[in-house]
Amino acid sequence: MSYRQAVYDEPYIRDYHSGSTYRIPGTVDMDHLGIPEELRRENLNLPDVAEYDVVRHFTRLSEMNYGVDLGMYPLGSCTMKFNPKYADQIASISQFSDSHPLLPDDMVQGNLKVVYELQEALKILSDMDAVTVQPMAGAQGEFTGMLITRKYFEFRNEPQRKEIIIPDSAHGTNPASAAMAGFEVVEIPSSDEGTVDLDALKAAVSEKTAAFMITNPNTLGIFETHIEEIAKIIHGVGALLYYDGANFNAIVGKTSPGLMGFDIVHFNLHKTFATPHGGGGPGSGPVAVTSKLKDFLPVPVVRYDGGRYYLDYSLPHSIGKVVSTIGSFGVLLRAWAYINYNGADGLDENSTVAVLNTNYLRSKVEGKYFIPYRKLKKHEFVISTQNTDKRALDVAKFLLDYGMHPPTIYFPLMVKESMMIEPTESVGKSDLDRYADLLLKALDVPDSELKDLPKNTAVTRIDEVKAARDLKLRW
Amino acid sequence: MPRNDEVEQMLNSLSMKSRDDLFSEIPTKFRKSVLRLPRSKSEFEVIETAKSIAKTNQWDQYKNFLGMGFYDRVIPSSVDSIISRSEFLTSYTPYQPEVSQGMLQSLFEYQSVMSDLMHMDFSNSSMYDGYSSLGEAVRMAFRENERPRVLIPDNMINTKLQVIESYTEGLNLKFERYKISRDTGEIDLENLKGLVDGNTSAIIVENPNSYGVLDRNVTRVSEIKKDSVLIAYVDPISLGLVKPPGDYGADIAVAEGQQMGIHMNYGGPYLGIFTFRKELVRKSPGRIIGETTDANGKRAFVMTLQTREQHIRRQKATSNICTNQALMALASLTYLSLLGASGLRKVAAVTMEKSRKFTDNIKKVISKDAVPFTGVHFSDVIVKINKSEKDLNAALIKNRIIGGIPLSRLIPDLSDQLKGNYAFSFTEKTPDADIDLLSSILGGI
Repeated sequence: MSYRQAVYDEPYIRDYHSGSTYRIPGTVDMDHLGIPEELRRENLNLPDVAEYDVVRHFTRLSEMNYGVDLGMYPLGSCTMKFNPKYADQIASISQFSDSHPLLPDDMVQGNLKVVYELQEALKILSDMDAVTVQPMAGAQGEFTGMLITRKYFEFRNEPQRKEIIIPDSAHGTNPASAAMAGFEVVEIPSSDEGTVDLDALKAAVSEKTAAFMITNPNTLGIFETHIEEIAKIIHGVGALLYYDGANFNAIVGKTSPGLMGFDIVHFNLHKTFATPHGGGGPGSGPVAVTSKLKDFLPVPVVRYDGGRYYLDYSLPHSIGKVVSTIGSFGVLLRAWAYINYNGADGLDENSTVAVLNTNYLRSKVEGKYFIPYRKLKKHEFVISTQNTDKRALDVAKFLLDYGMHPPTIYFPLMVKESMMIEPTESVGKSDLDRYADLLLKALDVPDSELKDLPKNTAVTRIDEVKAARDLKLRW
Repeated sequence: MPRNDEVEQMLNSLSMKSRDDLFSEIPTKFRKSVLRLPRSKSEFEVIETAKSIAKTNQWDQYKNFLGMGFYDRVIPSSVDSIISRSEFLTSYTPYQPEVSQGMLQSLFEYQSVMSDLMHMDFSNSSMYDGYSSLGEAVRMAFRENERPRVLIPDNMINTKLQVIESYTEGLNLKFERYKISRDTGEIDLENLKGLVDGNTSAIIVENPNSYGVLDRNVTRVSEIKKDSVLIAYVDPISLGLVKPPGDYGADIAVAEGQQMGIHMNYGGPYLGIFTFRKELVRKSPGRIIGETTDANGKRAFVMTLQTREQHIRRQKATSNICTNQALMALASLTYLSLLGASGLRKVAAVTMEKSRKFTDNIKKVISKDAVPFTGVHFSDVIVKINKSEKDLNAALIKNRIIGGIPLSRLIPDLSDQLKGNYAFSFTEKTPDADIDLLSSILGGI
């Protein structure tokens, strides 16, 4: 299968001067508006473009953009699975999508029912006791979890707990979120197995430890089999165990953070629950906690009294709010639809196939690429070009030319020349075979040729250094 | 998904006997025995269920006068059409720029249009929402001067302050309120001036403010701010007519972008607009897109200044932002591209006309004093009604109207002084007849 992305020399939108054609209703006397003199705007530069040109401009731009609807998109830790269209259809029902965030509860019983059911489903999937859907991204979920941790220890009068321990394989958002909430980050190295080094962990914990943030399976796709001991070490010093749910797709229906002894969990609805990520956002990052932390959640949470759904603001130790509203309802609605469509059987099957696809693809490239650590992987695996004469970047650009999105590259940082591959359940065997073939084929292409790739994309290889040096951030 | 026979084949190639072998390393005691959720359904059934749940929402049978930062505005059909393009909708963060030029150019254009709209030097490529943007702005000011005091208007909506406090939890900042005049609804400049000192990190101004008033005095805060950071929180629609924050010396200007082409969605996804002076760029949070060239010298776009970001800088990053609101940024860009300056001006103008019509009506049917602030209102109008929330709501609901948020609920610290004041909001979509109906009901109770 050959691939060629559309190529347009598309000008800036402001360089169309076809004149705005869009009509705003109403008549108004622009000279008698009563804007105070001091506040009158002198000058407003906006594009002045006819509707047909606006639509053509952005349609052409869309043709120069790769999405999961075009093909495989195995970015590790991003879980780029198929985004089901029924979810989009449901999210566009006007009675949902046009409801105002400050409407009284009695007017939005349908919205509240959806949120309530999603809260309940997330509790069941994670075996946790209470959920907030407010955070608008995974990183904001982490931040919320850190604020809960902080408030919990303030409440317990343990202000000395200022440290968050994080393994070196963690997503960058973990240390960033912990630091934002005012914690000090203590990084511990991984063991020779690519898992948490129990000795390093034991040496790092103390009465200053507030929490240990990990993902399980970790970013190498390896399940932390010592999780029980990890939980014992952490709880033994009175700290909390935090679950980064970016990799939850590996274990849905198989095990759960609650069973493993976690105290706080965040989910990424735009990963595990298939909501479209829109070129970087929106996402949604609900947080679940055990019962001892339930009163610390942000407000409001949705409750049901047997006859009526309502927003409850009365959590005694609530951290307050992290965004203006109850959360990204449009995203929550899609996740609700995904859970309802797949059901217990489908959710379980999706995880099985995601793990099967990962291990199958891993087995196809093993030997040619260096694959560190244990063989059996979960939702993703990490390969490295360090045993070859190639660079991960060059292999990635090679894949682009075949209409396949490359893996996440140069992450996790602990593996040199790494490529983190997460095929998800939304690809068949033939695509996996093809992806493996291309990964192997790349190794036979001379460096001199690789450096000139990609060629079949809207632009050729991009000068990132120039972007940072010249810093042109607007027209 | 592989076919069943392929699954067997794949398991065989891995020397596995069953699917369970894929999870063999998970300790048995942690295996989930049963997933207590209903079984799978067809999409027909799921959609039907969703429709029947949607019907239990009642609000669409009422006339709606809710606002206070989130508004029911005209959304051009082309906006929904563009953001539904699956190449945009189903793409991830543009880590591979060569196949992501569509979203990258769109976000570069978004940064440009937002910079122009706010008349600021630079914009990032979006944040979660307006309130969290304000929180990040206060953090950014602290990175700039590491001072402990932040001055906020005494009528700031409580939820907004809660979000800012969450965002600055680790910084031990002290928030102090400066006065907004109870007569004009504008900043008391003398009071604010007296509060600014060498420990002041930032001053937050709002325009229009939480009384819905367009505040003339925001233009004079730069004269008294000394060397603190001036943060402006503005209504982006108002900028069709109103002086932008860049014109009155704002260092950081943020806004909630929902009004520009984004459905209200009962709370999100929304759009945090985040703009700033160019000197602050390396201290700014969030993703930023830069223009560069490809190997052939052709114009191209890429995420830049990533050394500020969490995936590289980890705990020293300027923010933990990874996901942002790229698609919503595209929605607002499309909206502004369709409307142009003349369209945006008209939306703002019609909105003001509606608010003024309501204000004039109220002065007639209740009294001159029923509109407590002499300042000019934009979308939100505060009315003094000597009724309890319960009585007011009963009268409105009976007439199929939703609106009248008690100010004392939004700004609890001032509840005594603001008792009996209610907010009603208007947009270019509000029918004149509805304004007359609302006014006559309010006059009659």
